[in-house]
Amino acid sequence: MNIAVCICQVPDLPSSVAVVDGALDLSRVAWVMNPYDEYAVEEAVRLKEQFPGSVVIALAAAPEAGKELLQKALAMGADRAVEVRSLPLQDSFQAAWVLAEAIRNIYGKELPELVLCGRESLDLQNGSVPAMLAGMLGMPFTGPVTALRSDGERLELEREADGGMECIDACYPLVISTEKGLNIPRKTGIRQIMEARKKSLEIISASVPPDPLVRLRSAELVLSRKSCCFAATPAELAGLLHQAGLFKTVQE
Amino acid sequence: MAYYLVFLEQRDGFISNVAVDVWNRVQQEATQSGDKVSGFVAGPLKPTALADLYGNGTIYHASDEALALPSSTVLCRILTTLVAEEACSDIVIGATVTGKRLAPCLAEALHASLLGGCTGGSLQSGLCRRYIYSGLVLAAYQPAAKIRIFLQGREQLRSAFMSPDRPHCVFFDAAPFFVPHDNLFIRSITAGDSRRSIAEANIIVAGGRGMGGKDQFVLLEELASLLGGGVGASRSAVDEGWRPHSDQIGQTGKSVAPDLYIACGISGAVQHLAGLSSARTVVAVNSDPHAPIFDAADYGIVGDVREVIPALIEEVKEVLEKK
Repeated sequence: MNIAVCICQVPDLPSSVAVVDGALDLSRVAWVMNPYDEYAVEEAVRLKEQFPGSVVIALAAAPEAGKELLQKALAMGADRAVEVRSLPLQDSFQAAWVLAEAIRNIYGKELPELVLCGRESLDLQNGSVPAMLAGMLGMPFTGPVTALRSDGERLELEREADGGMECIDACYPLVISTEKGLNIPRKTGIRQIMEARKKSLEIISASVPPDPLVRLRSAELVLSRKSCCFAATPAELAGLLHQAGLFKTVQE
Repeated sequence: MAYYLVFLEQRDGFISNVAVDVWNRVQQEATQSGDKVSGFVAGPLKPTALADLYGNGTIYHASDEALALPSSTVLCRILTTLVAEEACSDIVIGATVTGKRLAPCLAEALHASLLGGCTGGSLQSGLCRRYIYSGLVLAAYQPAAKIRIFLQGREQLRSAFMSPDRPHCVFFDAAPFFVPHDNLFIRSITAGDSRRSIAEANIIVAGGRGMGGKDQFVLLEELASLLGGGVGASRSAVDEGWRPHSDQIGQTGKSVAPDLYIACGISGAVQHLAGLSSARTVVAVNSDPHAPIFDAADYGIVGDVREVIPALIEEVKEVLEKK
């Protein structure tokens, strides 16, 4: 089975993000692999362990994609790690576009059976890339999944619904986005990281993507801090909330 | 002139609360500006399902039994065609789990600008202000494509739109959109229990590590049911196994926008606060007077949740009885 995993990186500490003259300044940011992508890599590696002979390729499309991101995917068990080098990507559409192009370049006509992506990147939280990528590859999409069982031909998936759970029967090919709860990503020790460093990182250059569909116009730091009104006793608190009209809707 | 298409999400034959909200909000804006509004709903409906929808416009109803639990692939195919045939300029979708899955499919298929989680602004301006980087940055996004898709949660004030008019419902033939070998089949939906999703709750009582254990959440259940709200949890409470992940509020959980949010034993890490940026009133109960949650709270009380909450329950009962 051929499995492609799309990974990206996010700021380790969001507080290191700065805004200068209405534009984002990410120069002081330390990057880590997007936590949702760790579930995707872990699930890919588990499938590879279940079905020997499978090949897992991790792709990262981010101009800042550091070596560490790709090496982490290799240390977790990916067979190959590919950096998709492009101009700065301005929206989810462009990100999905360069990933789709890279997947087509790597796999040719035989697209991978499975493409795994994290549910969303924790920095911008659009959660659009997996579904857009599926559309561009002409593959069906589902997610975010919290359980995945495969017998090699068919898949049983679970995903959260509003106020419940959906069970889905599916077959390959498929694009799946991964949710917390799907697995517990393995920790990578010194040995795995040293092994990963021996493997070569691949770079492919993306073409110039089509225009973005959404543009960032400006950004500002949020420094809002509410002034908390403290109550001394639960009775006083209940009184304050009542006065503020917060129980109005309760009996309606 | 804008032409809005509202996706009316159906579950068990009824239109979801979020979709009703979205419909009414779009109607309100469209009435002021003279814009046209249509709706689309897939799956069989109960006779009273459209009773909460007011205003002018057409609702396209694809009533096929097979669309009771539609895959986003089929919905995307239908809507892409409908939008093209009707020449809609704006599509508005409620930010539910289904809506969030559908919107990017549609944005890709239509080459449309997807704007989600907008906290301010009107549909007409198209400018979307939303929080990014754990709520620490407020960004303004601008659509660059002809067609725009708005993914709307409950971040914005609910509309009190009323009208003597009613939309009229027409049958939409979805048969051409079914593909014989659809490789995704939704087998079943198991409602965890009858509770509605916390993403829709108007009042949320949430607990964190300070609750001390799984059993203590009974207190929060009691307070929540008294107020007619839902129970949420912080990441640490979920990681401890005290609550399911579906209850988690914050960056790796849900973003919520209740009128009242009561945080119990939650210290207020920036990742948790990221899920609350749209809550209207925040109340914090914590034993540490320096906990960061108090900086994000409108009202606070310093004390042990296991003592404060039972007392608060009694006081709230008293207030409600007097009403």
